[in-house]
Amino acid sequence: MIGLKNQAEMRHLDLVILLCLVLVNLAGLIFLYSASSSLDEAKFQAIMSKQSMLMFIGFVLIFIILLIDYQRFIDSAYFLYVINLFLLVLVFFAGSKRLGAQRWLSLFGFTFQPSEFMKITLVLMLASYFGARKEHSKSTFLMIKGILLVLPAFLLVAVQPDLGTALMLLPILLGVLFIFGTDIKALLATAFLGILSTPIFWYLLKDYQRKRLLVFLNPNLDPLGAGYTITQSKIAVGSGGLFGKGWLSGTQNQLNFLPERHTDFVFSVVGEEWGFIGISVVLLLYLIIILRGVMIISQTRDIYGKLIAAGVVCWFTFQIIINVGMTIGILPVVGLTLPFISYGGSSLLVSMIAIGLLLNVGMRRPLF
Amino acid sequence: MNRIRIYAFSIVVLFVAVWLYLGYIQLIKGDDYRNLSEKNRLVIIPLTAPRGEILDRNDVPIADNRTWFDASIIYSDAKDVNEISDIVSKVTGAKKKEIAKKIIYARNRPFSPVTMVEDIDREQAILLEQYNFDYPGILVTTKPSRSYPYKKIASTIIGYLGMISESEFTRYRTYGYRMNDLVGKSGLEKEYESYLQGTKGGMQIEVDSLGRKKRILTIFEPLPGKNIKTTLDVRLQKYCDELMGNRKGSIICLDPQTGEVLTLVSKPNFDPAIFISPDKIKDLLHVLYNEEDNYPLLNRGISCSYPPGSVFKCVLATAALENGIIDEQDIFTCNGAYKVGRRYFHCWRESGHGEVSIAEAIKYSCNVFFYQLGLRVGVDEISKCASRFGFGEKTGIDLPGEIPGFVPTRQWKRDTFHEKWYPGDTANFSIGQGYLLVTPLQLVRMMAVIANNGNLVRPYIVKSIENLKIDSQKISKTDISPDALAIVKEGLKKVVNDARGTGMKARSSDVVISGKTGTAQNMLGKNHGWFSGFAPFDEPRICVVVFVEFGGKGGLEASILARKAIEKSKELGII
Repeated sequence: MIGLKNQAEMRHLDLVILLCLVLVNLAGLIFLYSASSSLDEAKFQAIMSKQSMLMFIGFVLIFIILLIDYQRFIDSAYFLYVINLFLLVLVFFAGSKRLGAQRWLSLFGFTFQPSEFMKITLVLMLASYFGARKEHSKSTFLMIKGILLVLPAFLLVAVQPDLGTALMLLPILLGVLFIFGTDIKALLATAFLGILSTPIFWYLLKDYQRKRLLVFLNPNLDPLGAGYTITQSKIAVGSGGLFGKGWLSGTQNQLNFLPERHTDFVFSVVGEEWGFIGISVVLLLYLIIILRGVMIISQTRDIYGKLIAAGVVCWFTFQIIINVGMTIGILPVVGLTLPFISYGGSSLLVSMIAIGLLLNVGMRRPLF
Repeated sequence: MNRIRIYAFSIVVLFVAVWLYLGYIQLIKGDDYRNLSEKNRLVIIPLTAPRGEILDRNDVPIADNRTWFDASIIYSDAKDVNEISDIVSKVTGAKKKEIAKKIIYARNRPFSPVTMVEDIDREQAILLEQYNFDYPGILVTTKPSRSYPYKKIASTIIGYLGMISESEFTRYRTYGYRMNDLVGKSGLEKEYESYLQGTKGGMQIEVDSLGRKKRILTIFEPLPGKNIKTTLDVRLQKYCDELMGNRKGSIICLDPQTGEVLTLVSKPNFDPAIFISPDKIKDLLHVLYNEEDNYPLLNRGISCSYPPGSVFKCVLATAALENGIIDEQDIFTCNGAYKVGRRYFHCWRESGHGEVSIAEAIKYSCNVFFYQLGLRVGVDEISKCASRFGFGEKTGIDLPGEIPGFVPTRQWKRDTFHEKWYPGDTANFSIGQGYLLVTPLQLVRMMAVIANNGNLVRPYIVKSIENLKIDSQKISKTDISPDALAIVKEGLKKVVNDARGTGMKARSSDVVISGKTGTAQNMLGKNHGWFSGFAPFDEPRICVVVFVEFGGKGGLEASILARKAIEKSKELGII
């Protein structure tokens, strides 16, 4: 089970993705250093040491994942899915509450968010489910069955509440279905129905989430309360200009005007301190990883591998776009991290694992 | 394959769209956002300039600045708010309820000091400072504040400060005033506002999102206001103020040679501090609205006019002597009453004064003598002479709110009442009654004209501003005949120093005082008492007017007060 079939597989490892990944991670540490430097000393040191340690663990995980054929993961996809659902249920009973949401679970001394891990599990589960039924790719019925499979995960995450992560499950579904070949009309119709049903979700939302959505529509509604974050974040990014204010010199960041600046709003720090040039480089690195991912989709013949890559690529695209969009006020604040840069163990590890899977697929594509 | 292209294309489109929007806000709107971020972090703290001091002629401060100690709290440092309010209440004696209110307010600005009790004693401040160690959050803050060490004394001259009004703000704003600034509202504080007010400084500081100071970027030191030295002698002012006690009225002491105002007492008066400290709001309301207090903001010395009564006889006597209607030896007979038209005008002494010359008439303040004299001189000449003594126009003293008083004329009566001027009007006018109205300051200035042999001085209060001597002194030579004045003067000496003179009570063994009493009838109540005089007789150095509103006969109280004031000025070495 473990071990490379031959040296040839290692030769197909996408070094461009790996290089970009290393660069994004290193840049992320530099950004995080600045974003957390104005916190108190103990907290700052804890953040930096934890994040760099998890980065190291992340790269080790990627290496381990590369040693295992991704088909093995497909084989155990349902099992992983059930386990993850079980953990999500467990969160309700044994989870710890932070910031008004019950998302964290402590197991064997590790605290993590099962909802984050659901992203990776879902990619595998969907790839496994649809990959086994590739001859029915046009079937609307199959599509609906797939959606129903995702529903328990979506609901369990959404009611934690973790709107951001729940929403992130949808692009995974979308990416998989699109590459799988589902009828576009059926897909559009489903999306339309989904949008029609949003009023129902309005009732499921917590008060603070409703407020955030309203404030997104009009930040001036509450400039010192819920709109404060959006306004200050936009000011931070905008005031960066072309070259930025310089590392550790962002006044919005260092003087504490930016809430959540080391987690969800880390991009504002990048924008303020490194300017348009800095954010262009970061976006370019992300885009290279993602487009290389698309290349992997197109070059992989194996439907399972294709679907894994499709899910991962679509997920990253949306997570990055939505995170950046919310920091500059063009999308609502939903509580999403910026992969590899935002502080947060589960998010970082899950993102690393996803890239590991992508590399795994790319490396093991059958040669022709 | 087709789908993968769409896939890649969509991704690129999304990235480019976000990237373009970022370019828009960072490059095109960048300057706007940069301004916003600067506005976030930079705070300008105005540094108020200390106001110029107001000093008396011996450099004793009458209005100065002192440091105010406030018991304050920094809410975020406080551990037990209840304990703190207990301690502060115990030390300062303030009500716990009031302190609790301030603490609630402090909760909303947890990082900046919020005043709990204002203006505490130095001892209390020291005591509270010691508590700071065991009970963090308590601290004593200081701020400069206007202070009036003599409180009520001289308040009508000094005036008071108040929050800048909307109209003042539009007028002053080009000079760097801000909303909530204190500006002079009356008295010298108002008249010399532009000198007393210094130039504000400012401090630009960087703050964090909670408004906590991170560092100071620039400081512009404020320029203090200019000190103003006055002609007042605060010792005499204080003495005269105490002399008046609870009486209403005014005492003014003037240097007859220069016009320097040595004292200007107006009673009742007020403590100017009540306009500054919010804790004294009750006193303030009392001053403003309680009728029993009788309008203490009014400067009765310059802003109110009254009939002068018999003091005015000096003017008529001068007019008559000048015009040759009478000379030193001429005699009129007083039988106690005199018939003018169909009416009898009475002398104050029913049995009459018999045959009297002008000096005696002044001494006895004989009405009948002056009725006859007045009718001979005629209203036109009396009015003219009154104007030459400075009545009916402002003296030009450097205080706001002066009024001109009023000198009636034949023409005026016709224009106003469409009536001719009757001999009876002249009779009333002759003894300072009727339509004539004067301010106490005008009356003391009239006495100065007599004392200095015919010079009309402009009374003034400010001697110099900082090191700059200002030329307030203005003496205009009137063409009043010194010979006439000499005869009047002789009469004024008799008033005080001869047996049976009306101003006997003003006689002093220390110094020869001369002067004239007055008892002004008025429609509002009891007669007003007047005494206006000068001393010493040979070389007058001080002129005094005492006016006691509803004070009865001027020969009594007013004369005594004038004597005491003059004796005090002698004791102080002023004369």
